[in-house]
Amino acid sequence: MEPLQGGAGDRELMARLAAGDREALAPLMEKHYRRLYRIALAYLRQPDDALDVVQEAFVKAFQSAPKWDGSSEAGPWLARITVNLSIDRWRRNRRRAQTFTPLTESDHAASLADGGPSPDRRVQGRETGERVAAALRGLPERQRAVVVLRHYQDMSLEEIAQALGMSLGTVKSSLHRALARMRTGLAGARP
Amino acid sequence: MILAHLRLRRRVSPLAAGVLEGRERSETLAHVEACARCRAEHEALRAVVAAMEADPLREAEPGVPLAFLVARVEREVERALVPAGRPRWWLVALPAAAAILAVVALVPLLVGPLRPAPEATRAAIPPAEASPLVTEDALARIERNLAREHAVRYLSEAGEVLVTVAATGADCDPADERLDVGRAPERSRELLERRALAVGSGGEAVASAQGVLDDVELTLREVADLPSCVKRADVERVRREVDERQLLMRIRLMTRELEG
Repeated sequence: MEPLQGGAGDRELMARLAAGDREALAPLMEKHYRRLYRIALAYLRQPDDALDVVQEAFVKAFQSAPKWDGSSEAGPWLARITVNLSIDRWRRNRRRAQTFTPLTESDHAASLADGGPSPDRRVQGRETGERVAAALRGLPERQRAVVVLRHYQDMSLEEIAQALGMSLGTVKSSLHRALARMRTGLAGARP
Repeated sequence: MILAHLRLRRRVSPLAAGVLEGRERSETLAHVEACARCRAEHEALRAVVAAMEADPLREAEPGVPLAFLVARVEREVERALVPAGRPRWWLVALPAAAAILAVVALVPLLVGPLRPAPEATRAAIPPAEASPLVTEDALARIERNLAREHAVRYLSEAGEVLVTVAATGADCDPADERLDVGRAPERSRELLERRALAVGSGGEAVASAQGVLDDVELTLREVADLPSCVKRADVERVRREVDERQLLMRIRLMTRELEG
């Protein structure tokens, strides 16, 4: 898993973005785009939508860079933008009644890394992915965001609280409720 | 025992989620070992977490190279900046120069017949071409800037077409593994038709862009030959080509250089 905290390098890049330096976009994207893509993909489960969200997130980051609080880390700040955009996209998709289209095999194949697992494991992984996707879809928006950041990004509860602008207590209770709900969902989906 | 159970059972979920540490964790683990109900709950929740850990999407890679994403983001940023961004001075200078030329050409025609100057005065006025209001240098500069502006627009639009093709993931015929590239072939053809007009007469002004322009043209020709519903392998080929030639990065750098 890629590091969330970018440290001084991120701060410098953010400062350059805030000053309108577009050259800072590419190195910032290089550091964070995979992580943000995986957040958006875990939330939306659609590779194309996830790519669009990552694109929007960096455009928004560029536009909002002057308002960025230099004392906080850029990683959680970018994650927050990505989660909010993912939620927006999710709502738009739901309105278009396309939300419940399951991932096709080719979507999964395209989303897997090159040189990935064997075909058997891919099929197994796809089945697992579909069950998890169904369970995640059953969660309220914010609970799903907490689960995605915790279990797809290995973020600590404090980092999640910072990224989502929630209190630590709310993050804990959200995670607890979400896991309980997913437990029921996964048990129902088991073959 | 009951009090301990009431206190510790609330930690079973955080334990399963892997967010407990130190003494809290060891205390809860010991309780889970001893309490059948909490152990069952812990196992069920661990199964949920394990399912997520086995989800292939955790390690998914974006379907397009970083360069494509950077190009898309920069294009959007550019679009967002244009209304409030710095004005391109030659877009202002060209109409201004045209207006000045029109005035220079028309004023003698309009004023001359109304107020004929005496012979002596007329002889004293130097010929118009001896002291033009817009010098040849200024006009040449405007032409150079226009040529650059055309080349920038051509390269930017070509970049958009290439990004559209390379980043597409929309199936149009899943059974035959075909992807929808929309109007990209049509736009490529339009761009190729415009190429001569857009950059052909640029001369020295766009000489430094010649290499990029040639490579872009080659790739556009390939895209122009594609149908709108194209085999995935063909998309991959174009994507590879763009990647190997580092076209998007070169387009980006060249447009900046031309914009000065």
